Parts: sequence; structure tokens; C-alpha cells
Amino acid sequence: MRSIVYYVREFLRPEWLKKFFFVKTAPLVTPPYFKGYPTLTGKDCTGCFTCMMICPAPDAIAVLRRKEQWEPEVYPGHCIRCGLCVEACPEGVLASGRVTDLARRDATAFWHSFHLEVDESLCMRCGNCCVSCPINRQIDPQLAGTGTSTSDEVIMRVSSGRVRILHEEKCTGCKTCETQCPSGAIRVARMVEGVQFLDGVES
Amino acid sequence: MKKTVDVSIPLGPMHPCWKEPVRLKCETAGERVLHTEVELGYMKKGIERIMRGRPWQEVMFLAERVCGICSVVHNMVFIEAMELISDIAVPPRAACLRVVANELDRIASHLIANFSYCYTIEHETLAMYLLNTRETVLDNLERLTGSRINTAYMIPGGVRFDLLPEDAATMLADLAKVEEELKRYVRIFETGPLIGLRSRGIGYMSREDAIRAHTVGPTARASGVEDCDLRLRHPTYRALGFEQVTRTEGDNFARVMLRFQEVFQSIDLIRKCVDTLPAGHIRGGGLCRAGEVSYSGEAPRGELTYTIKTDDFGRVLDIAIRTPSIMNIEACAHYMVVNATSIADVTSTFISSDPCIACNER
Repeated sequence: MRSIVYYVREFLRPEWLKKFFFVKTAPLVTPPYFKGYPTLTGKDCTGCFTCMMICPAPDAIAVLRRKEQWEPEVYPGHCIRCGLCVEACPEGVLASGRVTDLARRDATAFWHSFHLEVDESLCMRCGNCCVSCPINRQIDPQLAGTGTSTSDEVIMRVSSGRVRILHEEKCTGCKTCETQCPSGAIRVARMVEGVQFLDGVES
Repeated sequence: MKKTVDVSIPLGPMHPCWKEPVRLKCETAGERVLHTEVELGYMKKGIERIMRGRPWQEVMFLAERVCGICSVVHNMVFIEAMELISDIAVPPRAACLRVVANELDRIASHLIANFSYCYTIEHETLAMYLLNTRETVLDNLERLTGSRINTAYMIPGGVRFDLLPEDAATMLADLAKVEEELKRYVRIFETGPLIGLRSRGIGYMSREDAIRAHTVGPTARASGVEDCDLRLRHPTYRALGFEQVTRTEGDNFARVMLRFQEVFQSIDLIRKCVDTLPAGHIRGGGLCRAGEVSYSGEAPRGELTYTIKTDDFGRVLDIAIRTPSIMNIEACAHYMVVNATSIADVTSTFISSDPCIACNER
């Protein structure tokens, strides 16, 4: 009897009844520090391919030519939301959470250098790498149109039956050649270094 | 396994108590479990093979995907191994921030381990309390790094983001709340009579057995093995005055209580780090070079070793990972559950050794 009285008193409390009938969980809000998929800020992309170079996931980001203008496109199924592209972009084209703000506040950046190498035993001399390379296509429009090139200014070119690397320093490390190579013969070594400039002095 | 008894009962690979697929084959005589064997191999990923030929900025993400519970420490050990190869120095502020991220991850990992144990002995109330507290800890990890689990916070020569002063204040306030809540949960665990019946004296492993089975981490420390915490050898932890927690009972109760104690210790370490955070850079730069090294760090489950060989451009040529759970799982099967009185004790003892199958099979 006493327990029944206890329960009736326990459950007839106004606050309990209010909670029981009008309970609401707090609305789900995305916190400002959450690193989501990178979005475009609207700033002009210069087509430097740094985002493609640093991206650790295969096929997660591509910089595409759209109506006389470069524009990065993020593929959410492939993107792992690491935020490296946002941090690496020198123009601030991409945004994700607080990554851009923090990188600007602490003056952090990534430095990179590249090295191209072709494994002669795997290479079939198909020339896919030379044709697909976005820098090659910019330097020599003929290569983009016809697939043949005579220019010596391109990064690499098939001549006398071999892929010859002519201008390694022009490479932007975007890995397009690596993904287009059917036999995995060409490799881009991307050496990346995280640096910070504080009070105008590099660490 | 040669069958020596009438009934051999498989536990798993799909079992309500297991977080991940693994099979325990128990030879039973009535309710008594005479002998147990572990069968692994249900979730092999081949992640070491995928890592080969890639630079650090890709392997870093693969490394933390080895384990979903203690991902920060995989990142930390891999990056510190790369720094050792290439002779990269870390600024003191970055070293302290690494400890903060690692200890937050350790708290989250220990809480989920104790959650699993409470869940296995059917104390679901305490289990859910612990999961709820874990969310607060993960929120702070997200505030620091931008992600809850796969944080990718550390890079060679530093960390990616700084700890903002307002975030540091929120973190300390949250940790005070976590500590207060945990004190209550620990009291519930310590004084609960039914928890005591399921935990005290169950799954006993002596110190000699723990050493013979090469157990590592909290499982070894709960059996009284001294000097088995690699944080004692880490320069940043040594500067913070880290001391190992050891218990001597060696049963399920000791293993769970030891993890609770380590959570309190981690909270103290984070407080010390945040209070004495040195000013200065968070990144020192430095390119990864060729070399070969074997480096170990203390994961929430014990000793984690990365053996790495790199080429001139800092790409990983060869990598081997040894994770802590492999020793603990074998020790559990061959030393802890020998002649167990009930099959229900096998599940709880196995979970109390905090097995991580994803780590094991990589």
C-alpha cells in the first residue's frame, strides 16, 4: 500500500508529467569546429592542384576546368574529411570547419617538392601519362588535341620509345599520371613538410 | 583443435558480447570450461600491404584506420617513428598537445572497454552511464582536432592545429565534470555486490603467468607487472612526472578498476599539460628521409610497435605493425579462463582483457 502511494506521488509530480509528455531532445546542431566535407568559398581557384597533390584518399578531389575557370570538386563518397586540402590551398578556395581560420591564425602551411620516376620494366610506352597530365595540356595545346607533341617545354614526353622526363620542376604533384597509368609504372614522390611562420620567421 | 571432451561450445564469431568478430572454442564438462582456444581471421584488411609505397601524408590516415578505438595512438607512434628516422625535432608545445590528444583518446578507449565489461556482466545501467561520459570526452577531442575518432592530428614535426585558450578552458571544465561523474561510477562498480560476485576472483592471472604470456598494458599491470608502461620512457611523459599504476589482484575486477584509475591519471596529465602549455611553434617542419626503425609506444591496450623502412623521398617501403591485443588475447585464452566455473565467466573474462580484433588482424 505504501509503495503504491509512493509511486503515485512520484509520478504525479508536475515536472515528471511535463517531462513525460513534452520531452524533447536538444536539436542536433553541427558544431563550428566540426570538419565536414570541404565546400567552396567562392574565391577564384588558380588551378595549382595543391589540393589534389596532398589528398590522401583516391579520387576524392579533382580540379576541373569549368567555363574559363578552374574549380575543385569534392566527391563525398571518397573524401575522408581530413581537411588537408583546405589547409594546403594557398588561395583559400575550400572551407571546412575552422581549418582555414586556424591555419591563418597560426600561419601554418605545407611545403612540398616532387620527384617523378618511371619504372622502365613496367612502362608500356603508351603515353597515357603525358596526354593526361594537366600541366602538359596547358603548355602544349597540340598534345591536348592530337595526343602528339614536339614541344620540349612539357614535363614528360614519349620520344624514341621511352618516356622522357624533361621538366620535373613543373610538376604540381596532382597524381593524374599515376591514376591514368595502366601498369603503375610512373610514380610521383610527393615530399610534404608542415611548416609554421610565426612573427614573420619560419620555424 | 583435438576434441578431448564431449561438448565443445563455440562463442562467436557473432556474439552479443563481442564488439568485433572472433571465435572462442570452449571445451566444457557440464558448466565447467576446461580449455579455450581463440580463432582469429574474420576481418583481415591487409592494411600494411596498402601502406607500402605511399608517403607519410597517406600512411598517416591508413595507420589510424588500423584501430577504430585507439586511433590517435596509431597516428602518434607512426609519426614519431618517422621523426626518429628523419631526425625531426618536435617543438615543446606540439609535444604537449600530442599528449593531450593521446590522453583524451586513452580515456575514451578505457571507457568503452569498461562499458563492454559492464555490458557483458549485464550491468547495462553503468555501461550506458560510461558511454554517455565518453561522449563528453570525444566532444573535447573534436574541439581540439576537428574529428571524433580518426583525427589525423599529428604530422612529422608537430601537430596540425593549436589549442585555443577558450577551448582549453572548456576542456578543463568538461574534464572536471567527467571526473566527478566517474567517481560516482567507480563507487558503484567498487561497492556493487553483484558486480563483485561476477568480477572478484574471476579470471585470475598471476604475475608469473602474466610475464610468461608476455601480456602488455592494463592486463599486465593489473597482475602486478612493474615497469611495463612505455609512457615511462617517453620524454614528454617523463617531463610530466608520469608514474605507472599497478594493481596486484590480477582478476577481472582489477583489470577494470585499473582502467578507471588510469582514466583519472590521464585527466591529471591533461590538466598538467594544459596548465603548463609552453608558448611557441606547433610545427617545426622537416622532410622525411630514408631509414629504418622500430619504435614502440604505449597504446591504451599496451605496447604498440611500428617497424618502418622508408626510401629517399620518405615513402614507406616496408612496414610491420605489432599491436598489443595479440598477446593479451592469447594470455586470456590460455591463462585466465583455464578451468573456469561457468561459460558466462569466459565472455566476461575475455572482454575484461580488452581485446581489439581490428588491431590484431589489421
